[in-house]
Amino acid sequence: MTMNAPRLLRRSRPAGTVSGGAVPGGAPRPDAGPPPGVRVRDLTVVYKTPLGELPALGGVSLTIDPGTITGIVGESGSGKSTLALSLLNAVQPPGRIAGGSVEVDGLGDVLKLKGDELRGARGRHLGYVFQAAQNSLNPLKTVGKQLLDLGRSHGVDDLAALVRDARALLERMGLDGARVLDSHQHELSGGMRQRVGIMLALVLNARLAILDEPTTALDMITQATILRIVREVHKERGLTTLMVTHDIGVAAEVTDRLAVMYGGRVVEHGPTMDVLGAPSHPYTQGLIRAIPRLSGDPAEARALPGRPPTLGTLPTQGCVFRERCPLRMEVCETSAPLPVRREERTVACHAREPYASAAGRGEHA
Amino acid sequence: MKLFATRDASPAGRGGRTGHTGSADDVGTADAPIAPDPAGRRAAGRAVRRRLAGHLVRGLAMIWVVTTISFVIIRNIPGNPVLGQYEALIERGMSPDQAQRATAALYGFLPTGSLWQQYVDYLKALLHLDLGQSLSTPGTEVTTLIAHAASWTILPVLGGTLLSFLLGVTLGVYAGIKRSGKLGDALAISGSLLHGVPQYVLGLLVLAIFTTLWPILPAGGPVDVEFTPGLNGPYLASLIQHATLPVLTYALASYGGWVLAMKSSVATVLGDDFILAAELRGLSRWVLFRYIARNAILPLFTILALSLGMLFGGAIFIERIFNYPGLGLLLVNSIGARDYALMGGTFLVTTVAVIVANIAADLLYAVIDPRVRTGGAA
Repeated sequence: MTMNAPRLLRRSRPAGTVSGGAVPGGAPRPDAGPPPGVRVRDLTVVYKTPLGELPALGGVSLTIDPGTITGIVGESGSGKSTLALSLLNAVQPPGRIAGGSVEVDGLGDVLKLKGDELRGARGRHLGYVFQAAQNSLNPLKTVGKQLLDLGRSHGVDDLAALVRDARALLERMGLDGARVLDSHQHELSGGMRQRVGIMLALVLNARLAILDEPTTALDMITQATILRIVREVHKERGLTTLMVTHDIGVAAEVTDRLAVMYGGRVVEHGPTMDVLGAPSHPYTQGLIRAIPRLSGDPAEARALPGRPPTLGTLPTQGCVFRERCPLRMEVCETSAPLPVRREERTVACHAREPYASAAGRGEHA
Repeated sequence: MKLFATRDASPAGRGGRTGHTGSADDVGTADAPIAPDPAGRRAAGRAVRRRLAGHLVRGLAMIWVVTTISFVIIRNIPGNPVLGQYEALIERGMSPDQAQRATAALYGFLPTGSLWQQYVDYLKALLHLDLGQSLSTPGTEVTTLIAHAASWTILPVLGGTLLSFLLGVTLGVYAGIKRSGKLGDALAISGSLLHGVPQYVLGLLVLAIFTTLWPILPAGGPVDVEFTPGLNGPYLASLIQHATLPVLTYALASYGGWVLAMKSSVATVLGDDFILAAELRGLSRWVLFRYIARNAILPLFTILALSLGMLFGGAIFIERIFNYPGLGLLLVNSIGARDYALMGGTFLVTTVAVIVANIAADLLYAVIDPRVRTGGAA
């Protein structure tokens, strides 16, 4: 429906197609088609531990609509980064994808890609941006040389055009492109590094951008700049963007849709304003109550009781949240709640099930 | 160096550039030369020169300290050979004056006189690169002996070091990347084994295998005497034949250390974020391999430079086993003969070599690691 797969999977492309006709830093080539949608189905990821294989993702289903910025929020260990890595079929050992599928428009099931096909999809179709605090650049090479490595790895013939695109993209993000390309990682600030990370993720015209905590460890001003850039670049280049964050404020500012994760499951998913304004799942409600307000009494902020589960303490049956849940019922001990959709909102909670009686079960198809 | 600052400005534009003129204004600013760059390069040049000057001062100070220590020790150990010679000459019936002159002529300094005066004389001689004369081979300058021995040490030990470095590092990268595989395990075990076996055991094993069990190589000595030295085939062939076993032993003895060091260095780099980032950007396996190898090899360069400095200490056991007249053997012989002038000279050469290697390692590091070059740490 969007980009046609056989053409995109071809490895050596004629010169100039990668960046031909691009407006500097702006939209990709006009024939690029609409942004890709993503459908994650029953994704299960297990980690090998001394206690056996434990599930980090327990059958996650999530539909990311084309052209949206979807936020994934949750506490540490909720599986949000694992989910982000799964979209590139890049779960690191001792983790392993045990089942499910990740359909990306124009690519098919990413989990079925192997070898050079998978390598080609990473970078060219799937752009991954690391945490700013993580050193995502080779410390011994200039950004420009790493850009050329990227181009050569993906069989780009017109490297001059690639460099030109990279510079335009960097300048679009407010940097001196030529100078940044001649710099090593240690010569760049955190905010500059993050923009370089975004440039490297998008310069080959990847249309699905996956950002893992893109503003963590940046100061507030730089955070705001990066978020503005993410929003603008998303719009100009026609991307589908997935942003993992533990910062609900960041999510509220940037995302159109929000998925809340807990214990390796998506417990609530819907339009950001609805989810934050009228949270339905008791975990989401607790999460939002835990945020101190600028106006009003900071003591009103209530931390969620209990601790987030780890792989080892995750209940093997029933609802993963029941230990900390104020709405706990008998059925929660034995059966895991299925995601139920009503209108725009999907919630996985037994206590909320009557709410969905009209819509039926299952994620939006 | 500044690869990208001028790329678009070059008139020899590549294909695909046309049609871009419409947006020239947007990119135009970046075509202008970047002002701080030449200044930055000058500053970097100054930093390197300052670093070099600092090293030289420190190096000279260290050399001075070592010479002073060896001077004091040699003058104070029981059985001072210079005084011994002096007394022996008197016993043979020389007058003290004569004996003093004879001893002074032999060793280049007066054995009597104040220690301070002797020290000053010794340093003066040193400044003229005069290490005095050997006691065990009277009439021969220590420098001559050392130069001769060094020529027999440097090539074999250098060959052995470089061979083991290249082999160990290459296999070490592999062992690090495939560390959960069978081949990786095998390489690591080979490294541990060879690292654990003492040099002299390895030397004896090699000697037994290649000269007795399977006698294809000469057992000892630097070269067969029947050939005329010079650039002729038979002489060079004999030279190489004789050098093979010492080089092989030396390479085997140091190979294990390189494999293990490289393996652990690779394991560290593999855990770095930028490797995962490179993988997620879809970089080819060859590029990834280069990223890993180049980052992992950095700490090993320091060790390499230091072991090249230690090279001037010779390889005592190996040279002894193969009766190879290098610096190690020279040192052993000088100790056996209580030839203190020669000992002092050998120590001094080793010291200077290690210090120079240290400086070289540091400067080399600045070349291969951009973080050191600019003096900033990230």
